[in-house]
Amino acid sequence: MIVIQVVFMVIAGLGLAAALGTILARNLVHAGLFLVAFFFTVACLFVLLEAEFLAALQVLVYIGAVAILLMFGIMLTRNIQGDDPTSVPSSWRLPGLIAGLGVFLVLACGIFYQKGIGSQLSWTTKDVRPTISAATGEAATPRSRAVNEMGRVVGDELMKRYVIAFEMAGLLLTAALVGAIAIAHREEAAPSAARSGSAAGRQSADGDPGRTGALEVASTASTR
Amino acid sequence: MNTVWDDLAGGLWGQTQAVELGWGTGIRWALWLLVAFPVVFPLIVAYMVWLERKVAARFQDRIGPNRVGPLGLLQPIADLLKLLTKEDLVPRTADRWVHLAAPVMVLVSAFLVIAVIPFAVNMAPVNLPSGMVYLIAVSSISPLGIFLAGWSSRNKYSLLGAMRAVAQLVSYEVPQVLSTIPIVLWAGSLSLVTVFERQREFGWFIASPPGLLAFLILLVSGIAEVNRTPFDLPEAESEIIAGYHTEYSGMRFGLFFLAEYLSVFAISCLGTALFLGGGTPIPFVDFPTNFLGEAFSYVLVDIILIAVFFAKVVFFIFLMFWIRATLPRLRVDRLMNFAWKYLVPLSIINVMVAGVWYEIVIRPGSLTVWNWFRGTFWTALLLVPAIVFVFWANRRETAREPLGTEWPTVGPVHPGFGLRSVGR
Repeated sequence: MIVIQVVFMVIAGLGLAAALGTILARNLVHAGLFLVAFFFTVACLFVLLEAEFLAALQVLVYIGAVAILLMFGIMLTRNIQGDDPTSVPSSWRLPGLIAGLGVFLVLACGIFYQKGIGSQLSWTTKDVRPTISAATGEAATPRSRAVNEMGRVVGDELMKRYVIAFEMAGLLLTAALVGAIAIAHREEAAPSAARSGSAAGRQSADGDPGRTGALEVASTASTR
Repeated sequence: MNTVWDDLAGGLWGQTQAVELGWGTGIRWALWLLVAFPVVFPLIVAYMVWLERKVAARFQDRIGPNRVGPLGLLQPIADLLKLLTKEDLVPRTADRWVHLAAPVMVLVSAFLVIAVIPFAVNMAPVNLPSGMVYLIAVSSISPLGIFLAGWSSRNKYSLLGAMRAVAQLVSYEVPQVLSTIPIVLWAGSLSLVTVFERQREFGWFIASPPGLLAFLILLVSGIAEVNRTPFDLPEAESEIIAGYHTEYSGMRFGLFFLAEYLSVFAISCLGTALFLGGGTPIPFVDFPTNFLGEAFSYVLVDIILIAVFFAKVVFFIFLMFWIRATLPRLRVDRLMNFAWKYLVPLSIINVMVAGVWYEIVIRPGSLTVWNWFRGTFWTALLLVPAIVFVFWANRRETAREPLGTEWPTVGPVHPGFGLRSVGR
């Protein structure tokens, strides 16, 4: 076994361990952290496949954005001080197991019995990797360009061949952003009107300035 | 037999920038991994702390540490020993593993940023072909670490500080990234070594209006990214005890401390490498590499480049210390306002003006004085109204809100109760 095989086995093993940790962890935040470790091992696998641009994007998007969002979601929807353990109700275990096994079978069959795309043979029949010409004298093949200048090639493809999908994704993201701001803004406008109304009501109801002063200080603390 | 694995190994090792795997490369990597990263950079950071205390002291008309060794130069060693021997406290209800993992994530993120910076010719630890994306990716791990620090401490002040820190860091990442886009456009590549080479041909990227604006935006958002004053609301002592690192003491706090100053060093190195041409001494002059016989001139040129690089980095570090000693802290809503309403529009406009600069100065292939003047004229003509417009539009919008709407409405003020008069 040569070095690169050992490296792959180690990274894949760590990835499997992280995935197992994600589903078996008692504490949700720990499960989220195991998921972050899993994303990181996927990025390592991308590096093994000579795609360090994709590895960087994986870290940037998944760990830098999705994982943070996940952590915020966990924090805002669970009891803040405690960490109630997650558990599956026992009547769901057998159907869950069957569904999981079914997904695993679909993925395994899809990967191992792949028929090949277009003129390429399926990957199980290949035993030699096409070479990238790293020598400076030779002309750049499409594959060597894709590896050496992956950012440029991805940008070219996104702007030429996949431009419609790219623009539609951008439009979708903009719509989501505007919608989120609209919803947040609407929720913010209503409670503040209620708060100032109730403060005025409290003010006129009793003539004790000290108590209402404390109440208003408390409400300002909660707005901040 | 040439299996998949052999070819993958051949492909991986003989990758992209054509690293030959002789023992020379092995020695280089061993020196970087075993000498530079564990020893040299922490030592630089420790003496940065000493420098900060001295500089801040001089700004405040006092002397700073001067008892421990001559000029207080052994003070960082004393601090290190203190941090190492302090009791390792974890609050009883805290989450032990997350409490330990959080400063490690922030520290790893800071170290990884330094790994792609070209200190001199052939002196970048790693020359990644997509170095810029790697930089953004790696600097986006630290908000996660900070959030976990605040969360795992089980302390409401820590959590509040952590949430504000993450909001600030995530907001200031956007102008930081957008301000490096002109660099990618002008260099034509995502690799920082190519950026360095391109600045040898076309002069420092800061010597152009869009470059100057991009540099200023990078500096400001960089300071915000490392939680330095005036953006240090998440960890300010008078505000929120110590924010996300309230419950950290001893060497755990030492890790956060090291991570913060290492990030300051990393941001200064990044600004120098991207905008000030790395170690080149004079802006528009390429340095000769072969004047005294090959090996000797190579080493000499590298030494000069590294020295000039560190001089520039020290200047920027001093600038950050200066700003810390001088400016007050930004309030959290002003901080977010500043990022989204001032820096993001400016950096987007800057990207478009950078395209103009590219067409006039860089596309012809080599730098001429006439092109440079023409480029400066046109880009300044486009940028100055844009900057004025952004500030004017923000002013107009702030002025449109009636006075006192930021403060909660209180109603009629009773005389003699000072607590309520604060509302108006």
